[in-house]
Amino acid sequence: MFKFALRRLVYIPVSLLFVSAVLFAVLRLTGNPIDTYLDINRTDEQVAALTKRLHLDQSLPVQFLIYLKDVLSGDFGQSLQFGEPAINVVLERAGASIQLVTAALVIAVIAGVLAGMACAVFKDKLPDFLISTLAVAAQSMPSFWLGILLIQCFAVQLRWLPTSGRGGWENLVLPAFTLAAYLLPNIILITRTSMLETLREQFVVTANAKGLSGSQVLFRHALPNALNPIISFIGLQIGRLMGGAIITETIFAWPGIGRLMIGSIFQRDVPVVIAGVLIVSVIIVVANLAVDILLSINDPRIRLD
Amino acid sequence: MAEQQLDIAANRRVSGRVACSLAVVLGVLIMNAAPAAQQKVLTVGAATFPSSLQTGVASFTSESLILQTYDPLVMRDNEGNFIPALAESWEAKGDTVWRFHLRKGVKWHDGREFTAEDVKFTIDRVIDPQTAYGYLGRIGQVSGATVVDPYTVDISTKAVFPILSKGLADIAIEAKHYYDEVGVEVPKRKPMGTGPFIAVNWIPGDRYELTANKNYWRGAPKVDKLVIRQIPEAATRVAALISGEVQIIEEVPVDVIAEIESSKRAKVISIPTSAAMVLTYDTRRPPFDNPKVREALDYAIDKDTILNEILKGKGEILQGQLLTARTFGHNPNIKARPFDPVKAKRLLKEANFDFSRPVVIMTQSGKYVSDVDISNAVAGMLRNVDIQANVSVVESAVYLKQWSALEMGPIYMVGWYSLNDADFATIWYTEAAKRSVWKNAEYEKLFVEARSTNDQAARDKAYQRMMEIMHAENPSMFLFGIPSVYAASNKVKNFGAAADKILRLDAVSID
Repeated sequence: MFKFALRRLVYIPVSLLFVSAVLFAVLRLTGNPIDTYLDINRTDEQVAALTKRLHLDQSLPVQFLIYLKDVLSGDFGQSLQFGEPAINVVLERAGASIQLVTAALVIAVIAGVLAGMACAVFKDKLPDFLISTLAVAAQSMPSFWLGILLIQCFAVQLRWLPTSGRGGWENLVLPAFTLAAYLLPNIILITRTSMLETLREQFVVTANAKGLSGSQVLFRHALPNALNPIISFIGLQIGRLMGGAIITETIFAWPGIGRLMIGSIFQRDVPVVIAGVLIVSVIIVVANLAVDILLSINDPRIRLD
Repeated sequence: MAEQQLDIAANRRVSGRVACSLAVVLGVLIMNAAPAAQQKVLTVGAATFPSSLQTGVASFTSESLILQTYDPLVMRDNEGNFIPALAESWEAKGDTVWRFHLRKGVKWHDGREFTAEDVKFTIDRVIDPQTAYGYLGRIGQVSGATVVDPYTVDISTKAVFPILSKGLADIAIEAKHYYDEVGVEVPKRKPMGTGPFIAVNWIPGDRYELTANKNYWRGAPKVDKLVIRQIPEAATRVAALISGEVQIIEEVPVDVIAEIESSKRAKVISIPTSAAMVLTYDTRRPPFDNPKVREALDYAIDKDTILNEILKGKGEILQGQLLTARTFGHNPNIKARPFDPVKAKRLLKEANFDFSRPVVIMTQSGKYVSDVDISNAVAGMLRNVDIQANVSVVESAVYLKQWSALEMGPIYMVGWYSLNDADFATIWYTEAAKRSVWKNAEYEKLFVEARSTNDQAARDKAYQRMMEIMHAENPSMFLFGIPSVYAASNKVKNFGAAADKILRLDAVSID
């Protein structure tokens, strides 16, 4: 398992190299830092100073190589917007994003799996119909609209929860639900399908015949066998969640990486964008690794090699 | 015997429980007996945040936060009038030296005295190219500062610079000893100034927490703590205001004004700013190289309808000139051209305008109030006079890149802030500013005259003539003075909308 993990982690620098080269080129070619960072009143000396600092007088490949050299010694450069090491800027926000994504995942997984199981157990009856319809409805709701709706209902009208910002657990509820709503429908449907297949298996019949209670059969025998596709699916979604929480972060004023990245792209703050991509890549690879390990723990038949 | 023992045990249990309950009740009473004095906390919802608390960044969002902890020598009030701040008075000593007499007894947040050394330090820092101070242009003609005595400082300029005192309103005075102690990086996160609030905590992208400076020279603020939160989504900002989480919000989109007013818990406060939203033509190339064509387009736009429908009546229509009504240099004799699409078509035909040629209006999105909506309305009105107009919305980095190259297409939307002196806005139509493709020799001559004399009456006359030239030549279509729209909870007193978008909160109190 250790070797497996190590081999996976090697992917990080390789993909990062490729991605950062593309990003660097695109960001530099479509916007000039001198225009975005120096006031319209700028003096020639200010332009010269910034040009020298960012090596803007060199050709694009040379600029990238200089940047790469710094990265390899651990220096991602100064953020142009914040005037601080880019990696610090990103790490500050990373905690908030991880918190939000984890909370959303927990809600989505628990609610989704339980709802999916209910659908499978009560197949073609009322609970199945209701939950499936709600799942489709949730999938069609744009997160923007849902977020604002939740704010209006729970924060403005009922005053049960705060409208926005990061703070205690109350602040996490609405944004996590909004983000979870994006995942929930798929988890419900996958769980439903997977459970239906599993419940048809021979060992379920045997378990029932043995006289085990319904919940014992479901939770201790059927569910673990049905979990594989669900775990795999969640692994795939983590990447989308990390990067895609931008809308939720904006609506709920959540200080996460998503908003930072979008703002940095608009500002052509190349060091922050690349540092941000690195951090998100690391999180995605580690999360996928954890998911694979979880899979192999759940299903001893899967060997990691 | 056993029963007695049982009773004793039971009694012990009961008395044990009673004792515990009493202890709990007492504990609660004691904890609540001396409640902390109710702290007044003012929470503000801001739309955008600067990236750091670095001074000199040329944006109003940054300046608004900077001026919570710093003061300039001269300050503006909410209406845009200039009043003394850290400098009590000033006079010209010859053509190129201004002497500033500083306020005595002002203390930095760390307790040390504010003196002329700090002013000299700040001025030197601003004009040093290494600092890359964004607002350098406000005092661009300054060559240095000399300390005369601890409360007097001379600022020298390269040439006559009549607007020095106005430009200084955007320069935050910083402490020499603080930079000596901590270097240049620390103040970007931990500002230390003379201002009404003291910085406590800065979380980029999230919030700025401050506490009142009880020794503030204008009088201690009426609230104990100030929290400025960034809430980028306008609907959430409004929700936070109505639910009571924040007491003041900035950047209220005009379409939610009715919702706020009807909530009965908050009111909308707006003020016209000195910012002029205009559509500038590329006068180098056909069709807009012909001044008759540019004049014709002015008749094609129904500015009253746009003001009432899109801006909901907030702001003002520019009277055929760049400067808003309250700006020094505004020409009261010029009026906006009336809406007359028939005349517009006629003038276009007389000028042999090519109606089959597409005309693109370039604009950013969300940079100015209702910018995209107004651009679309203008394009629609131009189509009503048979011009093939449409709108191209571009991202800010792309816009800035095109702008540097002066390739903005036939028409683009831009806003110029004049901050109550014509010099600040009119400069952008001169050659030296490198932003204008339109050139007019008389305009240039008058501009130089106006900034080379300290005689305000002569300056006024020059600017008014410049406005006449602009009205005749139409380098831009002059649309609107942009409004600055805030909303505040009904519990908030003494809060005023600022024409320059700076939050002035030291006199604000909460019921």
